[in-house]
Amino acid sequence: MTKYEATIGIEVHVEVKTNSKFFSASENRYGKSANMATTVVDLGYPGTLPTINQEVINQGIRASHLLHCTLTKKMHFDRKNYFYPDNPKNYQITQNRTPIGRNGFLEVETDTGLERIDIEEMHLEEDTCKSAHKGRVSLLDFNRGGVPLIEIVTKPCIHTKEAAVLYLEKLRETLFYGDISDCKIEEGSMRCDANVSIAPVGSKTLGTKCEIKNIGSIRNVGVAIEKEIARQEALLEKGETLEEQTRRFDDQLGDTVLMRVKETGNDYRYFPEPDIPYILLEEKEIQSALETLPMLPDERRKLYLARGIQKINVEKLLANRTLSDYMNTFIETDLDFVIASNLLLGDISSYLNKNFMQLEETKLTPEKLLDLVAKIKSGELSSKNVKDILEDVLEKDTTIEAIMKEKNIQNITDVSFVEELIQKVLLENPASVQDYQDGKDRAVKYLMGQVMKEAKGSINPKIANEKLLELLQKTR
Amino acid sequence: MEKLSVDEVKHIAHLARIYLTDEEVETYRVSLAKLFQSMDEIHAVKGYNEDILIAPWTEEAALREDQVGEMLTQEEVLQNAPSKNGKFIEVPVMLSE
Amino acid sequence: MSKYLDLGITEIHKLYQEKRLTPTQLLDEVFARLEKNKELNCFITLRKEEAYQEALKLEQEEVKGLLWGIPIAIKDNIVTKNVRTTCASKMLENFIPIYDATVIEKIQAAGMIMIGKTNMDEFAMGSTSETSYFKAPKNPWKTTHITGGSSGGSAAAVASRIVPLALGSDTGGSIRQPASYTGLVGMKPTYGRVSRYGLVAFASSLDQIGPMTRTVYENALLLNVLAGHDVKDLTSSSREVEDYTSLIGKEIQGLKIGIPAYLVSEIVSPEVKTVFNHVVEILKAHGNTVELVDIDYLKQAVPLYQIIAMGEASSNLARFDGIRYGYRTAKEGTVDELYERTRSEGFGEEVKRRIMVGSSLLSSQKAKLYYDKALSIRDDMQASFLKAFEKYDLLLAPTTTTAAYPLGESLQDPLKSFMDDVLVIPANMAGLPALNLPAGFNQEHLPIGVQIIGAPFEEKKIYQLASFLEQELSLDLEGGKCND
Repeated sequence: MTKYEATIGIEVHVEVKTNSKFFSASENRYGKSANMATTVVDLGYPGTLPTINQEVINQGIRASHLLHCTLTKKMHFDRKNYFYPDNPKNYQITQNRTPIGRNGFLEVETDTGLERIDIEEMHLEEDTCKSAHKGRVSLLDFNRGGVPLIEIVTKPCIHTKEAAVLYLEKLRETLFYGDISDCKIEEGSMRCDANVSIAPVGSKTLGTKCEIKNIGSIRNVGVAIEKEIARQEALLEKGETLEEQTRRFDDQLGDTVLMRVKETGNDYRYFPEPDIPYILLEEKEIQSALETLPMLPDERRKLYLARGIQKINVEKLLANRTLSDYMNTFIETDLDFVIASNLLLGDISSYLNKNFMQLEETKLTPEKLLDLVAKIKSGELSSKNVKDILEDVLEKDTTIEAIMKEKNIQNITDVSFVEELIQKVLLENPASVQDYQDGKDRAVKYLMGQVMKEAKGSINPKIANEKLLELLQKTR
Repeated sequence: MEKLSVDEVKHIAHLARIYLTDEEVETYRVSLAKLFQSMDEIHAVKGYNEDILIAPWTEEAALREDQVGEMLTQEEVLQNAPSKNGKFIEVPVMLSE
Repeated sequence: MSKYLDLGITEIHKLYQEKRLTPTQLLDEVFARLEKNKELNCFITLRKEEAYQEALKLEQEEVKGLLWGIPIAIKDNIVTKNVRTTCASKMLENFIPIYDATVIEKIQAAGMIMIGKTNMDEFAMGSTSETSYFKAPKNPWKTTHITGGSSGGSAAAVASRIVPLALGSDTGGSIRQPASYTGLVGMKPTYGRVSRYGLVAFASSLDQIGPMTRTVYENALLLNVLAGHDVKDLTSSSREVEDYTSLIGKEIQGLKIGIPAYLVSEIVSPEVKTVFNHVVEILKAHGNTVELVDIDYLKQAVPLYQIIAMGEASSNLARFDGIRYGYRTAKEGTVDELYERTRSEGFGEEVKRRIMVGSSLLSSQKAKLYYDKALSIRDDMQASFLKAFEKYDLLLAPTTTTAAYPLGESLQDPLKSFMDDVLVIPANMAGLPALNLPAGFNQEHLPIGVQIIGAPFEEKKIYQLASFLEQELSLDLEGGKCND
């Protein structure tokens, strides 16, 4: 792309994690049997009125904080009026005039450095109900109707598909780690729309935009934007004018397809919702909402790097919220995070995957982990030992000591004993010692093997290796 | 007396999702115009304060604790629906929004 | 047959306590009168069997409060579980709600017996009850005349002495105006004083449920039951409920009473003015100060009300679409056809007109010019009222510009129904409590009322003045009594 510059704006809806819905006390849970999680309020029965779930407001406060928005301290709601069968009252309660957060941003790391993505506003609203299409009819399930949503709208400030994808990944990670939403695109708890337009480089006005709705994965947002830019470019190159369209991304085609040409502006007839008085956010409430925020991804990264974990493992930990949360319970301890993360990401994860288990279902207590890691660090346990005892550690209530005893593991860390053992091996293998003196390094490996064999694996290989080299050098 | 145009009435009727016969359109051209004329009186009001009164609320909203309450049974959900299909309420097929 | 229904509630209560009367016996009278006076068309749905069952059940208990065992009529826009609730519309002709309005729970807890659901203007849109899908109720004082509206069925049922009590709802005078036309006491409480949960919304920022009764005292008694905070209605007030009867009978003296000047201007007919002036004389004679006061924008109250009420209504009534409940067209094809046909066939003309205008008012080109501006002026109007209450204890005005008029007169003019409510609309706009008190008659001996408007939550003070005037005027209000 040389002649044109793309301008992209992203709108994201996430379902907010709460026990109950936004405006009624129905359960907010995915996957219940159809029409089993509703009240007369969700069905828009005549005479019903909304109530407000405190936790949705708290989640809004938290999200606003996470996205660096200015919090609106006096809010009301608005009605967005449009007729559609998935919209039970034929109006949606949303925030048009007083969105809970404004003027925020997220920073993403691109190839050229940190890029700031500006967030225009974020607001609270209710979800529509679910419809399934079956031949000439559609079937309505009202369980989702009234589930709280946060909609986050960026400014039209993104210019590449890469930045768009990075923004979405960052947004998902932030809201997921902030416990705002589980952000599962496949379950619809995170939905992405992209507005794309192109204009000649240097142009002061934006081109005609197309909206691509409900793209099924973050990766596909990138693909959709790429295809859309190409489509628009081709049309402009042919000298055609663009029309404002709503398109959707077709997974099978791997391309965007036309849904409809925009009518002359959807008229949503917004007006302030008279059924819900002002909501005033006091400093005290704001602080108490923020107090429960879990540690955020970037903070975790900093912490893990500071405790010596390699970058690649840091990212692996962040990709696994359960393990990361687990690690964080040890922040106040002297746990060696490097050894612990290797263990958790390696052998323990393999065990869990193999057995379809969760960490909390094992018998690994914090004390046991601390003990295990300390013993690895001190050399009392070799990595081979760890492999031998891991199942028992995770499955039995007994201490590490007891397991070691049972498996007859006595890792010898007594240096004089190690020395003695090495001396013995050297005496028994004069040819190899000679090879070493002749400069043949692989002799060291052989001798080391003999040492470990002699010790039946029960000495710390690191110490043994060091000692072996020391003693060999003396023979020169 | 000014009348609304046929298109204006049809546009308004569509906004409200109300089907009108041509004859009804003619009646509403007059009666809607009369109502608009009456409401146009407020155009003369000047010098008012921009603050708005959404409703004469006397308190701010009291928020509810996040607890699941009593819910309807499936039967209750479907009870008043003119057209149902298994566990669902049925409508003519929805074209993608 | 003894005419227990002609007695006051305290007397009925005494008879209940003395076991000289049972709720069942009283119901016999209610249903006998109903049978003989069907042409008044007060009710859309009766609840005879259930009412008798409830009476029998009550008879197993001790007599409780004053309203225990008292029959009550409910306006048909208040949702009643398992009892058809139509809003006088074809749209809800067969609608059986699956929950109860909060006020219904309250009247049941107090031991009142719901007789049935009363006739009204369709979705409360109108001022004569003639927009009812079930045909207009008739004024018991003169059956060729309107009851007023929209709570016309409730008004007719109480004025005719078929039931002692009724609930109405008041969006732009729909309790007070029919009360005035039928010689009743009707109170629209402060916005937020009575829960709206279960009141089918017409205009959410204006609607209030209130009591319609024969006397001031009975009105206050019923408000005692209705008032209170409801967690299901965010707009309901958490302010403590007072005993609204507590000032009744307390002496009135040295009150400062304001009369909003526009509400006694040339828009009011001479017959109403005569009655009103008589009331003013009584007040002055008892050492009260009565003077004119200017309230801002009263002259624009009708267009302001039209904009706000129709705007909100267009959104509130959008839910009637033939999908989850209510009427559904047989001519559905596409989703849009389902909507358009259902709503075209299910709504009457007045309702259609108002929701069309409302939809248009909220559209993007018009919202700023009309709706937003109306909200701003409304704010100023309320401020002006509140300022007046710094100086005056209460405000006084006529309730209606004329007495009841013949049925059929208003149907041709889409503005007439709004103009009828010019005097009662301001209290709704500002959320103030206001009560109609019967104050006299015109030459045809049709009742004419006055309206007492209070500062927010000053219902008690309104009742005090109203009961004082009630006693001073000492009117014979039996003119609406039906055939026995």
